[in-house]
Amino acid sequence: MIKNCMKRNVFSIPSTATIRQAAALVVERHIGLVPVVDPQGKLIGVVRLGDLLSLELPDFFNLLPDLDFVHDFGAVETTRPSPEELDCPVTKLVQPVMFVEETCGPLRAYALMVKHNLHDLPVVSEDGALVGIASRVDIGAAILSAWKMVEPSQP
Amino acid sequence: MIAEIVTTLIFLTSLWLIFSEKLNRTIVGMAGAVLMVGLGKLLHFYDEAEAIAAIDFNTLGLLLGMMILVALLEPTGFFQFLAVWAGRFSRGRPVWLLVLLGTVTTLVSMFLDNVTTVVLIAPVTILICEILGISPIPYLMAEALLSDTGGVATLVGDPPNVLIASAAGLSFNDFLTHSLPIVLVVWLVALGLLRYLFRHELALRPPNIDAVLKLNPAESLEDWKTARRVLIVLAGAILVFFLGEALELSPAFVAMGAAAAALVWVRPNLQETLRSVEWSVLLFFTALFVMVGGLDAAGVLNRVVSTLDWLNGIPPVWFGIILLWLVAGLSAVVDNVPITIAFIPVIQGLGARGMDVHLLWWALAFGAGFGGNGTIIGSTANIVVATLSERTRTPITSKLWNKRGLPVMLATCTVASILYILAYGLVFR
Repeated sequence: MIKNCMKRNVFSIPSTATIRQAAALVVERHIGLVPVVDPQGKLIGVVRLGDLLSLELPDFFNLLPDLDFVHDFGAVETTRPSPEELDCPVTKLVQPVMFVEETCGPLRAYALMVKHNLHDLPVVSEDGALVGIASRVDIGAAILSAWKMVEPSQP
Repeated sequence: MIAEIVTTLIFLTSLWLIFSEKLNRTIVGMAGAVLMVGLGKLLHFYDEAEAIAAIDFNTLGLLLGMMILVALLEPTGFFQFLAVWAGRFSRGRPVWLLVLLGTVTTLVSMFLDNVTTVVLIAPVTILICEILGISPIPYLMAEALLSDTGGVATLVGDPPNVLIASAAGLSFNDFLTHSLPIVLVVWLVALGLLRYLFRHELALRPPNIDAVLKLNPAESLEDWKTARRVLIVLAGAILVFFLGEALELSPAFVAMGAAAAALVWVRPNLQETLRSVEWSVLLFFTALFVMVGGLDAAGVLNRVVSTLDWLNGIPPVWFGIILLWLVAGLSAVVDNVPITIAFIPVIQGLGARGMDVHLLWWALAFGAGFGGNGTIIGSTANIVVATLSERTRTPITSKLWNKRGLPVMLATCTVASILYILAYGLVFR
């Protein structure tokens, strides 16, 4: 079960936080996914590292088929989001989240992550409270650890 | 009488739905066309055979052929190459960048679909401006406005021209002699006006010129081999368009021939190529032909023409000017394709009643082409650049378009009117 391999020490922010606070948490804890919770600790969404970075790297880059011919990003490198943008409520960037319950099997969790292109998967208790988070490596290692039970083949 | 009222209602409701953007225009067109044929059968004024006869396959063939050529050229990176080259060659000087990007977009869209051209050149334009640290608005607006204006110059430059040429029997060369010279002057006026309207933005020296000098156009061209083949075929097609009249070849035949030749030479993944063809546009045109065919069969167009009998006393040149401004005004707020398709049978009707309509075709072409510059929704290219700009820090608003685009429309229509009077009133009499 996923509860056996997830990290229980989860850093989250309240829905009243600002984008600036979410970014500060990413920098401080070196995490790629910030869960956003309501006052009861219930998971209401997530802010991904990419969503925060999109404030600096505008969306139109996705329209260019490739960037090989750009050897210097020029002014793009030094343009920062405005103070108004950074002090917006983080809910502006919150994405609906894919999560699983503690009892979810690791292979199902891994398949969901691959399907939805996720790097981290929040785990909630039966009543919806955020209790942990599992990365692809956490889940993948848990799956592979079962392989040591497989007897070596006889020569 | 009932047939006239019902068909008019269907057509006007469809136009309103397209204008209000409540429904996708192709869906509206299909539903309207089916309704028209259904009611035609019920009231005995229109049937399937007449509906099929109303479809102008010459227009559809020309559009499809050119769309296939664009679909082959699109993935090669040729369009990006042109924009990157313009950026590099401008050395980051704003006025040069505006002139080069505007010219490149116009030249390409004189022969290829200008929406595709703008769709592919605009992202690179935004990239260059972001790298330079300047607002992309003047450049994006110039691309849309200048390519719309320049497209009027050739038979294949924009869809209304294709429709008009097919209905009036005008050749590729007719456009080169009757439209190109006027459009050239109008285009230069539009460029000069844009330069003036954006003088404050263009006066700023970009802070990051060095980065633009490091752009490498050669690296933006993904597949030179395919690009070269398609461009050779395209050049051949333009040459045959040129000689088409003497060779008695229809533009549709030339375009489909070029598409076939390019497909044989390039041998692409056909599924992928055909996915890039804008089938919804072709379907929309077909549906409009069927709808206007219904209006014609019900006698609506005849009635419109007979109410215009009093216009017979007006000299054709002045009638042309009225038509130019009327069509321009309508094209600024509604898609110019339905407007053109609706006006064509009216002009044909006037011609059948003995009016000299030769000049009116050019008025229709100029009105439909330049009118679209007036509003942010006036042409598909305008909508494209506005939508793309929403993905940057400085979106183009409707208000801004009215301040910078509307003057361009008014100036282009005014200059076109003056040249129209001079050229057709004096030279082509």
